[in-house]
Amino acid sequence: MLHSATPTRRQLFALGAGGAAAASLAACGGPSSGSSSGDSITYWSNWKEGESQQAVMKAAVAAFEEESGITVNVEWQGRQVTQKIVPALNTPQVPDIIDGAFAKLAPVLAATGQVLPLDDLFASEVEGEAITDIIPEKFRSESTMQDGSPWLLPTFLTSEAIWYDAGENPEISEAPPANWEEFIALLEDLKSQGRTPLAADGDIGGYNVLWFQSLYLRLTGVGGLNELVSDKSGALWDGDAALEAARCVEQIVQGGYLIPGYDASKWPAQQQAWATNDAALLLNGSWIPTETAPYATKDFEYASFPMPSPDPSGETIMRAEPTGFVIPLQAKNPEAAAEFAKFLLRMEFQEKIAAEAGQIPIREGIETIPELADISAAIDAADNTYLAADGVTYSGYMETVMQPLNDELFLGKIGAEEFISAMKEAQIAYWEAQL
Amino acid sequence: MTALLSQRPVRRPRGVSLIEAQKRKLFLPLVGPAFLFYTLLVVVPSAAALWISFHRWPGAGPMEFVGLRNYPRVAKDPLFQQAFLNTMLILVVVGVTIFVLAFAMSLVLRNMWGKGTVRAVIFFPHLVNALVFGALAGFIFNPGGLVNTLLRPFGVTEPPAWLAQDNIFVLIMVTLVLTHTGYFTTILMAGVDRIPPDYFEVASLAGCNAIQRLRYVIIPLTWEVFATCAVLWTISSVKIFELIWVFGGSSGVGIPPTSSWTAAVYTYVTAFSGQSVPAYGAATASAIISLVTVSIIVLLMRRIMRRDAIQY
Repeated sequence: MLHSATPTRRQLFALGAGGAAAASLAACGGPSSGSSSGDSITYWSNWKEGESQQAVMKAAVAAFEEESGITVNVEWQGRQVTQKIVPALNTPQVPDIIDGAFAKLAPVLAATGQVLPLDDLFASEVEGEAITDIIPEKFRSESTMQDGSPWLLPTFLTSEAIWYDAGENPEISEAPPANWEEFIALLEDLKSQGRTPLAADGDIGGYNVLWFQSLYLRLTGVGGLNELVSDKSGALWDGDAALEAARCVEQIVQGGYLIPGYDASKWPAQQQAWATNDAALLLNGSWIPTETAPYATKDFEYASFPMPSPDPSGETIMRAEPTGFVIPLQAKNPEAAAEFAKFLLRMEFQEKIAAEAGQIPIREGIETIPELADISAAIDAADNTYLAADGVTYSGYMETVMQPLNDELFLGKIGAEEFISAMKEAQIAYWEAQL
Repeated sequence: MTALLSQRPVRRPRGVSLIEAQKRKLFLPLVGPAFLFYTLLVVVPSAAALWISFHRWPGAGPMEFVGLRNYPRVAKDPLFQQAFLNTMLILVVVGVTIFVLAFAMSLVLRNMWGKGTVRAVIFFPHLVNALVFGALAGFIFNPGGLVNTLLRPFGVTEPPAWLAQDNIFVLIMVTLVLTHTGYFTTILMAGVDRIPPDYFEVASLAGCNAIQRLRYVIIPLTWEVFATCAVLWTISSVKIFELIWVFGGSSGVGIPPTSSWTAAVYTYVTAFSGQSVPAYGAATASAIISLVTVSIIVLLMRRIMRRDAIQY
């Protein structure tokens, strides 16, 4: 065996110097982006080529370029846009405008103070109408603001409801359950007919937790869940509302209403089962008609009713989660970006968003696709609206505290009381661990 | 490069041969570029991660220096402990299973007819992207899936809840065994094939059975290969991520149940959960903890498995 040549000290030093040079190269960002001229903006889109919403956006971009003479450089990034934007904020390559769901943009942009306040934009007009008149007040609540300023210009809403096939269940369309008691009676009725009342994809923690969250909010009002989670002492978990909401969830689980195997399947198995009438009801988002259409039975008539409240005396509330445009604080051309964002509030594009993309447009008085008629009417009729998870964005709280324990409740491993005490304990530990 | 072209006689320290001096001269031009790339792509990001782990930082905006506090925070998190335990379970339990099976197969396959074909067949799962297995899990194990449909004619009306949260991690481990055994078998077989046949003849003349043949011939003579494989497995097992993500996390709707998380998943969710403020400080701290642990394990393994190479 030959002796290997050991490098001399000077050679190692040369290597070290090279490494240091490499380090300093890596430390400064890539090449600077081109000129920040006023005639082009960069738009990172939350939509992918081929989606119907992308076609609407593409048409809007073309019309905007035509009218304003501003070039829009679009990158159709898809839903990963919210993950890609964070690293981009530390480079010179920050887009002028991005879009996405409130719940996804709030934690990465708003909570970190990386958004441009849109007060001026909200004070302006679209087609001669004030934006404040176009966007109903209930969608402009304090909870959608950061430091008192709006930061997201909403273009459409997503919501949640309990879905069913109106063709199969005419009796539900005639008289949807108005409160929790009637809802349980409906489940019992379906069960006695030998039908499976409820479908649920139990492997999706975010869906499972909708039951507890929606019920709790209906007992406490908008903002209640946020307050419960923010309570560092965990004392609010000892309140009546938390226990009642948990008991309602337990009632669903213990009542034998859920489709067999919901606790051991892989999404989308159970929503597929529901779409082929193997179960009557499904709690899910307003995207469900579009998502399940490819495999639903022919003549499936999508209809929905809001989550029934255990306390019908309270105000009626609906989830209304805005999706829309955000302008990063470091955008080079914020004025042009704001002009583009406003374009989507025009009647023409709001109608396209409703009819072609199958969404619930932010403007009132636009007809949605028939599948969303019920849910859209419920939002219009609601006294108040709340954000997904009531706007909670605390680091890892939902993913690591509430969802895992709620899964145990929803999958029948623990009961309501045990869930409450475990939640209280876990929440105290969570807040203690926060730096 | 000018140094290479210069006509100066090579000044070499006393006792250094000419060849040695030439080798030294080539050290920089040969090692330099690779070292530069490695520094750029690995060392710098690792150092940056270490730096970030001393802060509270949501990925953008100002960084708040918190010193080492992220480390106890992560280490005390029961979820991280569970994830770390899962990582170790994959490393040890899956690892031992894989190598037991791989050695068993190399024994069986050594003089089996059509061993090339068999080797290709057991190697095949390794070529398939782990995501495919994760996505297929639904089709195979759903309540109305393939397995239960096949079991029905045999009178199994109450099949196990394959995809229940408590079973997912076990299924992931089984999948890992299936996908990696062929790969390591192939590498070990290459080592076994290099063993001169006379040793096996001598062993059979001495009346060795299969186990003794393994113990006195195969293992000592493939020890180097095995030791390298063990290190390879250790490093790759800690990075396993996508299989777990897809197995429990479905196709982009949810995240896997926390009971099946590994340290890699914990790191990812802490940094990119998507629905809550990212905690890059805690995420990088958990990554650094994993990195240090793996480095220690690898060093220990090298130390324990070090033997003088047998020349044959």
